[in-house]
Amino acid sequence: MAKALIALALWLCISFSAFAATPQKKSLTWTELTPEQQQILAPLATDWDKLEPERKRKWLGIAKRYPKMKPEGQVRVQKNMQAWMKLTPEERRAARERYKKIETLPPDKKQALKQQWDEYNRLPEQERRKLGSTPRKPIAATPAAAPDAGSTVAPAAPASAQ
Amino acid sequence: MNEQQIAYRIKQILSRGLDLDSEKLSRLKFAREGALARQRVESNAPALAWASNVFGRLGSSFSFVPRVVLSMAVLILGLISVNQWRESQVAAEIEEIDAAVLTGDLPLDAYLDKGFDAWLKRSSH
Repeated sequence: MAKALIALALWLCISFSAFAATPQKKSLTWTELTPEQQQILAPLATDWDKLEPERKRKWLGIAKRYPKMKPEGQVRVQKNMQAWMKLTPEERRAARERYKKIETLPPDKKQALKQQWDEYNRLPEQERRKLGSTPRKPIAATPAAAPDAGSTVAPAAPASAQ
Repeated sequence: MNEQQIAYRIKQILSRGLDLDSEKLSRLKFAREGALARQRVESNAPALAWASNVFGRLGSSFSFVPRVVLSMAVLILGLISVNQWRESQVAAEIEEIDAAVLTGDLPLDAYLDKGFDAWLKRSSH
């Protein structure tokens, strides 16, 4: 009886951990995505299958939010997708930290940031370098969605300031 | 005289018949009915007895080692669940931030350019 209990306990442990690990290991390939997901995540099409499962899950989460985004947000997200994906994990982490910091600013300061960014970009490059600016990665002008992508994806809009 | 022989003698005497008064007969009847009633209860008991036996054994053999193993298993399951929950919370937060960064009106470079941060600090002073 005692042995049976030990076996039961071990079996529970193993099966639960296997169950818990399953969704992490499950990784959808590009062809397994729904047409709608493919349409939204079109800028990632070529690199999708190389992405780690957790990153895929994140992008699928963003694709799920996509229909609820404002049209200009939809355009921006597709424009930024590839550039964001090409960043190193450290760069993404730093950007997230920066975002969190910005979120703590009062609304008027937050709104002024866009204008300040434009102002900063008007500085001579040499001066920006002195401030610690590093050469920027060229952001590929991605054809956001495939041309036959249908109507749910907003048409490409003119690029914002940068 | 051994036990079997005594039993045989009693049987012979009983076969010849007993001259018993009504009081003894009623006492015998009462004793017989009592014995039969007890026998019925006992015949119903095996199922209960079996269950009691199983649980009794479970209780007694559920000693130190299995208890430790079972506690460990519960603890491990708990830790796995907490870890899963924590990971899902972190993933949800990352998704939330990424969605906000990607849809925001600030370009990605604004989040990455250290010079911009330094310039903001300098100009705010």
